[in-house]
Amino acid sequence: MPQSRNLLRVLTRRSEGPLLLCLLAVIGFFALASDTFLSVRNITNVLGQASLAMMAGIGVAIVFISGEVDVSCGSLLAAVAIPLIVVMNATNSLALGIAAALALGGVVGVVNGFLAAYLRINSLIVTLGTLFVLRGGVYLYTGQTAIPDDAGLESFFQLGNGRLAGVLPYPAVAALVLLLVFAYVMGHRPFGRHVFAAGGNPDVARLAGYDVPRIKFAGFVVSALLATCAGIMLASRLGSAVHVAGLGFEFQVVAAVVLGGVSLSGGVGSLFGMALGVLILSFLANGLGMLDLATEWQLVVTGAIIIAAVSFDEFKRRQKL
Amino acid sequence: MLSDPHSPALAMQGIGKQFPGVVALADVDLTLTGGQVHALIGENGAGKSTLIKILAGVYQKDSGSIRIGGVEAELRTPRDALRLGIKVVFQEIALIPEFTVAENIFLERHPVNRIGSIAWGKLRADAKALFDRLGFAVDPGARARDLPISTQQMVEIARALAHEARIVVMDEPTSSLTPKEVALLFTVIRRLKSLGIAVVYVSHKLDEIFEIADTVTVLRDGRHISTKPVAAHTQDSLIQDMIGRRIEFLFPRARGPARSDVLLSVRGLSTKDKLRDVSFEVRAGEVFGFFGLLGAGRTELAKAIVGFDPIRSGEIAIGGQPLRPHDTRTGVALGIGLLTEDRKTEGLMLEQSVQHNMSLAALGGFAVAGFVQEARERSAVQGFVDRLRVRTPGLDRPIRDLSGGNQQKVLLSRWLLRGLKVIVVDEPTRGIDVGAKSEIFALIDRLAGEGHAVVMMTSEMPELLGLSDRIAVMANGRITATMPRADATQEGLLSAAIA
Repeated sequence: MPQSRNLLRVLTRRSEGPLLLCLLAVIGFFALASDTFLSVRNITNVLGQASLAMMAGIGVAIVFISGEVDVSCGSLLAAVAIPLIVVMNATNSLALGIAAALALGGVVGVVNGFLAAYLRINSLIVTLGTLFVLRGGVYLYTGQTAIPDDAGLESFFQLGNGRLAGVLPYPAVAALVLLLVFAYVMGHRPFGRHVFAAGGNPDVARLAGYDVPRIKFAGFVVSALLATCAGIMLASRLGSAVHVAGLGFEFQVVAAVVLGGVSLSGGVGSLFGMALGVLILSFLANGLGMLDLATEWQLVVTGAIIIAAVSFDEFKRRQKL
Repeated sequence: MLSDPHSPALAMQGIGKQFPGVVALADVDLTLTGGQVHALIGENGAGKSTLIKILAGVYQKDSGSIRIGGVEAELRTPRDALRLGIKVVFQEIALIPEFTVAENIFLERHPVNRIGSIAWGKLRADAKALFDRLGFAVDPGARARDLPISTQQMVEIARALAHEARIVVMDEPTSSLTPKEVALLFTVIRRLKSLGIAVVYVSHKLDEIFEIADTVTVLRDGRHISTKPVAAHTQDSLIQDMIGRRIEFLFPRARGPARSDVLLSVRGLSTKDKLRDVSFEVRAGEVFGFFGLLGAGRTELAKAIVGFDPIRSGEIAIGGQPLRPHDTRTGVALGIGLLTEDRKTEGLMLEQSVQHNMSLAALGGFAVAGFVQEARERSAVQGFVDRLRVRTPGLDRPIRDLSGGNQQKVLLSRWLLRGLKVIVVDEPTRGIDVGAKSEIFALIDRLAGEGHAVVMMTSEMPELLGLSDRIAVMANGRITATMPRADATQEGLLSAAIA
């Protein structure tokens, strides 16, 4: 049948194709292995859990595509919850709380971007530095404990815990909307293509008259703001600013981004690929949990899958050359 | 937009540019006319690249003025150059490999629709129309990385037109093209002329210049030598302008004649990209020089014969023993080492000490049960520092602090410590001052005198004529001539290199 052959060709040619097949395989496997896995409740729960990594992952993928690295999102998740909760407790206003959180996130993005893009300091080192600084700052400010939400606003509670039409968690809705918006920007706005060009070959981009540092700088700011959105959702779910929130989150995100086919050397990748990477890892963790596999083994399996997937990708790429 | 065809499209006057320790350009003039092809020629290092990089906004001039259409222009960034209608097609292809051809064409400005989305349909259609106008058979939807270099170059030229460039500069555009593609390129260039565009054509290939150019400017050692209509030149008069009369450096040749035993033998060597059927032999006590213009394949040859790069076919033997290609370990074990052209990135570990840089290849020789005996290492290194008169404040100083000439001596010592028989030196005096140069020459002379075989790649003819026993000339990855030094002249070498 020509139709199905066409579909197969599309699936194998697009870099997302193998990932989609991989996701379906993971879902199929656990659907057979566990009778509770394939329920609406479980699937929507997983989507809700995946949404934080997906939001932050959009930003991290953009930074990767621009040829830089951002690993600061884990601590940022915890850090932005502090101005959010503190301002909300003081003013009883969700909007002011969110504004405060975005302000902090924006400042972090500007600092990362300024150091990495304009001063040309290695972005892995810069963002690793902000990761430590922010985590330390959170511990210092909170005195190693959580700051509870005393305002108790219903709107704030709903943000992370509510569901659209009672089914799809709001964070998942937000992640999906952001994904579509940024996929459009990266694929169909000149700015997005400039990001690809800056990462694909910065010299060419410069010769084409692009302001490469500014493009990279923008990537860092976007990344920090998206991580802030994830942090706000998480704070709502936890009902407080928790000092250990997001520990190790940055590695989950980087793993999903890389699994999603985004190149560490820049210029290559798609946000849909990243999203599939996040979903594969989230369903994997959920399914393995349902099979009562110890979390230790979940880590081992996840790690092995990431290495296998990226190696596969690399060999395929080398064959083409 | 089309101004009077006889008014200069661009006038560069008194352009000067210095780099630390080097005057790259001094008082150079270049005047371009719309609808004319202006060839820019000169030997390697004559200043052509610097001049066109200034035009491209990549480098900034130190002095002089640039006027475009009679108006003073400042070219501070590539963006300025593009805005003023100057498009430089560099030798290294400047396409984004993952983008389609069509998107690459409109890289400078994606066409957008009312809401600012990229109009992909228009982009593809415009690219197609442009190719049709130029007579290119290129699929606008193909990814740049999947295309052969020659096609990528066509795409680059189309890109110039897409942005209504009035001045198109081509840097060695035919270096990777087949004769058929060259013919197509010339058709395109004539097309550009008919559109009133001023073309700057940088090339080593004189026959191309006679075919396509209207005017020729010759640069030499960063200076403007002549600008004449191409009809006023003959091949000989052009070569004469390129070489000029030069002060011949005299190199102290202390060694005796070469011996009879062959230390390096290369038979039918070809690589995937560059080298074609290269064969030669080098004897003990001999300096075998390779001359060639940029891109002739000398560096590729140097890397292939020491086992650094893979080869497609051919045999390399060191002292009669076959070298396993693409394997520097057996190369070093058999006794061949490379002094690379690019000291900074391929030769030195800049932050590490003189001692560590020198002993790198020979560490195994100082080791007992796997532990390097520091004292033995140190005394051996000190021996070479004394012998070659390396001027260094101490063995522990980072090699970064040494002058270029002294860095080069340390690198040579690295191979001497290892007891190598064959030493390949690629542009041994690049970036080294005159005094240090003669020391390096004396050193090469002495090494040959001690029975080493030396292969020397250089684009400096005086070096070659002063130091070599025999000289091979390369062009397009082949050896086009081999001659004893006594038979070599500058004119002869350059003719063979241009062939």
